[in-house]
Amino acid sequence: MLLAGGQGSRLGVLTSKVAKPAVSFGGKYRIIDFVLSNCANSGISTVGVLTQYRPYLLHAYLGTGEAWNLDERDGGVAILPPYATQTGGAWYAGTADAITQNIGYLEMQDPEYILILSGDQLYRMDYEDMLATHKANNADLTVAVMPVPWEEASRFGIMNCDDEGRILEFVEKPKEPKSNLASMGIYIFTADLLIKTLKEDAEDPNSSHDFGGDIIPKLLADGKRLYTYQFKAYWRDVGTVASFHEANMELLGAEPAFDLFAQDAPIMSNSSTRPPAFIGPKGSVDDSLVDNGCTILGQVEHSVISADVYVGKNAVVKDSILFPGARVEEGAVVINAIMAERSCVAAGATFGAADEDTVTLGDDAIVEKGE
Amino acid sequence: MPKAIGLITANYTTASKDDVFSGRPVASMPYLGRYRLVDFALSNMVNAGIRSVGMIMPTNYRSLVDHVGSGKDWDLDRKNGGLFIMPGTAFGTSRTGARFLIRDLVQNKEFFIKNKEKYVVLSTANFVCNVDVKALIAKHEESGASISVLTKKAKCDGNIDVVTFDVEDGRVKGMKQGAKFGETVFLDYAVVERELLLELLDAFAAIDHLDLFEALNSELGRFRVMAIDFEGYMKPIFDKDSYFTANMDLLDPDVLTELADSRPVKTKAHDNPPAKYEPGAKVSNALVASGSRIYGAVQSSVLGRSVIVEEGASVRHSILMQGVVVKAGAQIENAIIDKNNVIPAGTELRGTDGDILYVKKN
Repeated sequence: MLLAGGQGSRLGVLTSKVAKPAVSFGGKYRIIDFVLSNCANSGISTVGVLTQYRPYLLHAYLGTGEAWNLDERDGGVAILPPYATQTGGAWYAGTADAITQNIGYLEMQDPEYILILSGDQLYRMDYEDMLATHKANNADLTVAVMPVPWEEASRFGIMNCDDEGRILEFVEKPKEPKSNLASMGIYIFTADLLIKTLKEDAEDPNSSHDFGGDIIPKLLADGKRLYTYQFKAYWRDVGTVASFHEANMELLGAEPAFDLFAQDAPIMSNSSTRPPAFIGPKGSVDDSLVDNGCTILGQVEHSVISADVYVGKNAVVKDSILFPGARVEEGAVVINAIMAERSCVAAGATFGAADEDTVTLGDDAIVEKGE
Repeated sequence: MPKAIGLITANYTTASKDDVFSGRPVASMPYLGRYRLVDFALSNMVNAGIRSVGMIMPTNYRSLVDHVGSGKDWDLDRKNGGLFIMPGTAFGTSRTGARFLIRDLVQNKEFFIKNKEKYVVLSTANFVCNVDVKALIAKHEESGASISVLTKKAKCDGNIDVVTFDVEDGRVKGMKQGAKFGETVFLDYAVVERELLLELLDAFAAIDHLDLFEALNSELGRFRVMAIDFEGYMKPIFDKDSYFTANMDLLDPDVLTELADSRPVKTKAHDNPPAKYEPGAKVSNALVASGSRIYGAVQSSVLGRSVIVEEGASVRHSILMQGVVVKAGAQIENAIIDKNNVIPAGTELRGTDGDILYVKKN
């Protein structure tokens, strides 16, 4: 069950028209590609995607799930927006509530285990390995955790565990953390227990219907077997403009923190078929990713360039992320910026500066010269 | 509602002895970094709303079937219609020249009987062009011709593989093999009413070893075959030199835009990351497909998917097909390097402008 309904309000104009999981990333992908590819690469063939905020692009992008080999007759991708019943309808009021409202879907699929995922994180994980840990521990719930720097631990949901990895205590944003193992918001539940717990939680008037805030504490209090699954590879929650920018830049360089080219678990995407990128006679591209369909007549340096981007003559693009269809006209300068889909920096204009915060330009927006 | 069905004959070779074409049908020849030649014929038909396309297969069809699959990438995986993979006659594969061999069409007559649309659009796979087939059908209807053929005035001499027409006031009066400067070249796109095509197949049954247009050559008084001029970019690909030029032509952004953007050219989708240019890469005047990694220098070249150009390596005025690895310090100039070749470190491979070096598929 993939939670993809969030707005991602801290990404500002980048999510003014699309849900966060549908935001362009890495020159070719949308953020949700990473989790969907993990599912496909882990052999999971039934994925319910819970959508809510501005879902058009996300729904269109998911399609039948074919791009991630998830178009199956039994299972495959199911898009699960809020819906109405005989007693009315309601928006998803929390991570747990979103799942509760789709217990019908869970009962229809009748799985043994349920994996809860977020559609806005970047990482490669073999969920099968996590499930093996869950089974080996005979656990009721397994929470994926990763060590974070101690000084940052108070920003996360922290798990205090014994030597076997069994969770003794869960504290949301502790002032004085006893552990640095942070929850990644990735859970494997034994299905029956999850459904039972969610039904009870729905009846609780004091619950905020959140996995971290309500469900985990309740299961701990009930003495259930909660275990951690330790993850040590690359993981990013691209919540802010700064972290989004950083995560894109981490794809660059000779030894990138996250290697898009790793062969064993390819990141799949629903991409269009465009001609190869054209680098003009006076164009140059250095330390960058450039997708198909681009025309680069100017200078691109240390940037991530998505499909169908145009960079005009004598234009400079540096330390920036350009979404599909963005245009940097002749002589324009774009530095330390994120340009959303089809946005444009007009001829001779300047957008962004090296020693300031990363600037963002929304879908279809235009920066004129002198602005 | 589509008015026409399509037929692509993908089962013939060229007269060229260049080994660029050996071992693979012309239709599945990689082109411009990420396409196969058949993509143009398929896309042109699909862009006109055609949703039933028959494809007559060569005997060595593996690469072609691998590429087109169920036709999904061209929206041709339909409940009704869609992509029809059809056998060619064994005879058809060994013959050059004939591109719409009557025997091939007769053998697959079922396709023309079952699909009830009014017209059939015929095409081969080795002309690179972005054709508005919808307009072609409209012009055909308007003129009341028996058959309409798409043509263009030849700009160079000596292509023995293409067919030329003798045209008077738009009407085809005769045809021959081979083209000289200024002659009217047949672009291998034709429109004919389905019922008429079926009649012709019956009438020509006794001479089914001929090409449909060869058979029509003596019947041009009876049937009005009208030429429709094509104004856009086109390139027949029949030998190494025309293949090389047809790639290099696309380094002109205007040509690229016309060919790839005027109507979408669809192809098999791949899960490649964007191309990655490492610190210090020097790339200019080049087409680079996704999945490539460039550490060295690339100039005036076309790079296919997942090509690697290592540090200190240089590639000039060349075509590298998908999966080619150019090891550190190697130098390539005026060459076509076929799929998956690894060019060892320090190697120099040089052709000349007039004689492009070809390194065959590994």
